[in-house]
Order: sequence, then C-alpha cells, then structure tokens
Amino acid sequence: MIELDSVYGAFTLLSSDGNAWLYLLPGLLIGLVFGAMPGISITMAMAFALPATLYMDFLPAIIFLTAIYTGAGFGGSVPAVLMGIPGTSSAVATTFDGYPMARKGLHSEALGIALASSVIGCLASYAMLFVLIVPISGVVLKLGPLEMFAVAVWGMLLLGSLAGAHISRGILAGTFGVLLGTIGMNTAGFVRGTVGIPWLLDGVPQIPAMMGLLAASQLIGLINTTYLIEDESSRKISFAKILGGVRQCFRYPTIIFRGSLIGVIIGAIPGVGSSISNLLSYSETKRNAPDGDTFGEGNPKGVIAAEAANSSSEGGAMATMLALGIPGGGATAILLAAFAMHNIVGGPSFIAHNKDIVYAIMFSNFAQAILLFFVGLGFVYVAGYVVRVPLRFLIPSVLVVSTFGAYAIEGSSAGPITLWVFSVLGWGMVRYGYPVAAAVVGLLLGGLLEGNLLRTNQISGGDFIGYGLERPWALVIFALMIGSILLQIVSKRRRAKEAFLSTGSSS
Amino acid sequence: MSNRSGRTVVWGHLILLTVIVGVVVAYLLDARGVSLRTNNLLLVQPAAILALVLAAFILPSIFPRVEATEEVETKEEVETKVETRGDLFRIFILIAALAGLAFSLEVVGFDVATFAFMVIGLAVCGEKRWWVIILFSALFTVFLIYGYGTITPFPFPLTIL
Repeated sequence: MIELDSVYGAFTLLSSDGNAWLYLLPGLLIGLVFGAMPGISITMAMAFALPATLYMDFLPAIIFLTAIYTGAGFGGSVPAVLMGIPGTSSAVATTFDGYPMARKGLHSEALGIALASSVIGCLASYAMLFVLIVPISGVVLKLGPLEMFAVAVWGMLLLGSLAGAHISRGILAGTFGVLLGTIGMNTAGFVRGTVGIPWLLDGVPQIPAMMGLLAASQLIGLINTTYLIEDESSRKISFAKILGGVRQCFRYPTIIFRGSLIGVIIGAIPGVGSSISNLLSYSETKRNAPDGDTFGEGNPKGVIAAEAANSSSEGGAMATMLALGIPGGGATAILLAAFAMHNIVGGPSFIAHNKDIVYAIMFSNFAQAILLFFVGLGFVYVAGYVVRVPLRFLIPSVLVVSTFGAYAIEGSSAGPITLWVFSVLGWGMVRYGYPVAAAVVGLLLGGLLEGNLLRTNQISGGDFIGYGLERPWALVIFALMIGSILLQIVSKRRRAKEAFLSTGSSS
Repeated sequence: MSNRSGRTVVWGHLILLTVIVGVVVAYLLDARGVSLRTNNLLLVQPAAILALVLAAFILPSIFPRVEATEEVETKEEVETKVETRGDLFRIFILIAALAGLAFSLEVVGFDVATFAFMVIGLAVCGEKRWWVIILFSALFTVFLIYGYGTITPFPFPLTIL
C-alpha cells in the first residue's frame, strides 16, 4: 500500500524546495483568522488566497492552500467555543459542549481541548490517508445514493440524543428542521415552499440560518447578563489551563481515534464531509459514554469527539480529491482549481504518475498539524480575551458581524434576512425548551436526505428492500448503525445493573 | 400566563407552536399543490404529518392545569430564566433593530444601517454613557466596513463612507 520509492521522492521534493515551507506559517495564520470570523468559510478564505498561488510553483501553492484549509478548519472552532457561533457547518457539534464549558468559566480548557483534538485528528487522518489512500478511493467509487442516505439517517439519529428533557419537542424541532432543509427546488425539479422568493429556490441559506438558530438566539437571550462568564474570577485567560485542556484530551484516546476514523471515512464521501462527521462522532461518543447524560452541559468529551472528526475530515476529503479528482466540497474544489491553474489534472492518472507529490502533500500536512498546535496556542490565548468584553458591547457587535458574514456568504440581503428570521425562531425555541441544535441538524441533513432518497427511489423503481440487498456497502452502514444502537442499549443496561449492585452493596 | 376555568395558557409557547404548525401546514399544502407525485412528496409529506402529530402531543403542555401551574412555571423558569416585562421589552427592541438592520442594509447603505443598529443595540444592552455609544458605534462601523469589506467578495453598498 505504501510505495517506498515515492516516499523517498517526496522527502527529496520537500527538502530541495525551501519555498514550500515558507508558506506554511502565513497559510495557517490566514486560515485561523478567516476561519474564526463568523460567515467567512474555509472556502472563502482559500478562494481569497487562490490568485496569489498563480505565480508560485505547484507544490508551494498546494501547501499554502492546504495550510489555510487546516488553519481555517480549527479557526471556526474558536467562536464556536467562545460564543456558540459555528462559523462553518463543521463546527456545529463543537458548540454543543464547547460553549457551555465557556459559560462555566472553562473557556481556556475548552479551547485547549479543541486545539489538541484538532491537531491529533488531523495527524491521525493523514496517517490513515498515508496507508489507505488507494483502498479508500476504491470504496468511495462504490458509494451510491442509498449509502449516502444511510449516512444521513445515521446523522439524524443524533436527534434522539439532542432531544433534551422533552423528547417530543426535540423530535419536532428536528423534523421541522428537515422540512425547512427541503424548501426550494428538489432534485426531481419540483419547487416547493419558496412563497415566491427567488433566492429560496436554492433552499434556505444554511450558514446564516445556523448562525441565527445557534448564536444570535442565544445572544438575544443574554441581554440581561453582564458578561459571558458571570463569575469574575473565572474570566481570566490562563495559558496553564489551556495546556491543562490539551493534557485532558490525551485521556480519551478512544474518542479521538473513533472521531478520526469517522472523520476520514465520512470526509471522503463527496458532498457529505465534515458537516456530518462532527455530528456523527458526537452522537456516537455520547451514546457510548458512561456520562452521556451530561453531554450538552459542558462535557469535554463532546468537544473532543466533534473536533477530532471535523479536522480529520480534511484527510478524507483530500483522499477523494487526490485519488479520484472529485471535490467533496468547496475547499477541495478550490484545490482542484489550483491544480488546473498549474496545468495539472487531479484524479487516478495524477496519483498513478505523481505519488511522490501526493506523499509530499501528506507530509507537509503532518508539519502543518504540528505547527498548528503552536500557532493555535497563541491564537486561542488572544481570542480567549473575548470573555472579558462586557456583553453590552459584545451582543450588538457580534450580531452586526454575523449579519455582515451572512451577507458575505449570500451576496445579498437574503443572508441577513435569514439570520434574523432564524434568530427570532431560535430565541423562541430556546425559551420554550425546544433544542435548536436538533433543528440545525435537521436543516443540514434535510436536503441530503431527500436528494438521496429520491435518487434511490428512482434507481430502485420503488423497491427499496430489493435494491438495498444488492448494495453491500449500504448494508454495512445500516448494520454499523444498528450495531451502535444495540451496543448502547447493552452498555446502558450493564451500567444500570452495576449502579444497582453498587447501591445494594453500599446499603 | 392567564388563568381561567382551571387551566392556564402559556401564550409565548402557544404563539411559537402556532408558527411552527402554520409553516408546516402551509408547506405541506404548497407541496401538494405543486404535484402529488412521489418524487415531490416522498419525504415532505411523511415528515410534515409526523411534525403535526408531535405538535398535537405537545399542545396539552401549553394549557397546564392550575394545580400543575407552579410545577410548569418552575420548569419554564429553569429553561428560560423568566424575564420581567421590561427585559422582554428590551429584547423585542433588539429584535426589531436587528430586523431593521437586515432589511435596510442595501436600502440605506451598510454604514448608516450598522451605525444606527449599534447605537440602538448598545443603548438597549445597557450602556448608559451617550458619548461611548456614539464613539464606539462610529469606530466599530468604520472598522467593520473597511476590515470586512476588504476580505469579502461582494461590495457593501455605502451611503457616507
């Protein structure tokens, strides 16, 4: 699986071209800063830097862009932890426990945990990619709409774990989100629910809706609070505590490994990627954790699961892009554009003839992940000061920045208007015990669910079971899903039995 | 909350559920009006019906019995930290100001709309010093227009700056 000649060639390439290393640090910094701004997506940051790569050599250009990719991937987690704003869809699950940790005064620890999980996740994903790039690309080609549907259904199972105290309100919020996610023109060409608004043809703008539901709604509710962290002594930014968070992360190798594996596999599927992998990893970790009930209240395991998965998705997406020439999302599409700018066509022929360059890209990503740790430490230390800003300044400022970000994504008032509508809806939902996170998951997965269900229906002629039996990978995914649920039931019973026995023996 | 003939009404929750149900019903009717083919309703119709059934299950909790009111109030307090009327009024002003910002950005220009929102936002969120409100709003507006403006691919329509 590993060709040693190509590995040697990669080392030669990287050691002979000093330029390649020069762009690592600026790339990471640009990525971190852009990624941390609400509304500036990874794709936007890379698109912004793309013209600058035109006059670079091929390898430095790709390393520069992948450094931005890596930096922005983690940058999005900083506002997710500090303010509950998921700058990108891949940081949604980070808000579930990262933000509650920050509100409790554990912001330094949460940022340290997020950074370490991201770095380890990224390293793990490229290590897996190094060994598995060829088999992964083979599997990706075998995945059809039924498999994608199965993955989306797996993501939807998260709704159960996000439901909170009122199960019916949680499922209603999720179902409502799914319905909103299907607004616009579906893949069969039917236009529904647009109420005559042209921009709704493409569906509800997801990022502004997410920012409104998760962040703006919370900020509006904080109007009577003076600081994000009420206790003054907890507002300090502590380097030691950030490092403490980093150390804490190493206590949960299983969560990181599971998150990284989910990230690589889901990240490799075109069109799915990190927006689902972080949710799936979160829900699987919650399902398996003995203290699963405390997820959503500031459990560090939730942050580790989400961050390990979203950062490792980068490796998976790169596998599909490098091996097949298929861009899984906006970021890899920009990388393919950079390939084209240098007259190189990605895909099977590229990987067959240029394995040394592919390995060089992977090795540089190892270096990026390690460098991200040190640059990220400084970045989160500075960013952490946001908790010391009084909310009377922070609330209107963040609302305006979110509005600008929403405009920047859509290029019209569609973004800000969506942000406002979902802020009000989210505020109402939070007020009456409806989990907004469930609505966000539904919104993200609604279009994916419907599109792949429709394609499956069209291909199978309505015979879902007969068609499903012919699709081994779909069966594997469904079997894994059922297996994970059964395991959860078994472990829950075992824990309950152990708790009963320990209570019995102590009394 | 009102109290009449042994039951109370949680008005805010009633409005929220009415909005959700209204949107679901309108969407379902619109989708059915477009086409009754499977490719149109495969996911939308079952999901909409599920949402309506769930809403029916939730409905009784909006009209709790009087004896259960205290318990409900305690639950809602835990969830929402009940605000005073004054607090709610401030929240509604902030929501209205955000609506003004979202709808007027392209009409009056990003600079004017942002400055106006910041002034209202700061005042509503509790800043008392008028000079701080004006100065911070002006500086933040300039910083944002030129800072964010340089990195976003779309030009912001401006009136003054």
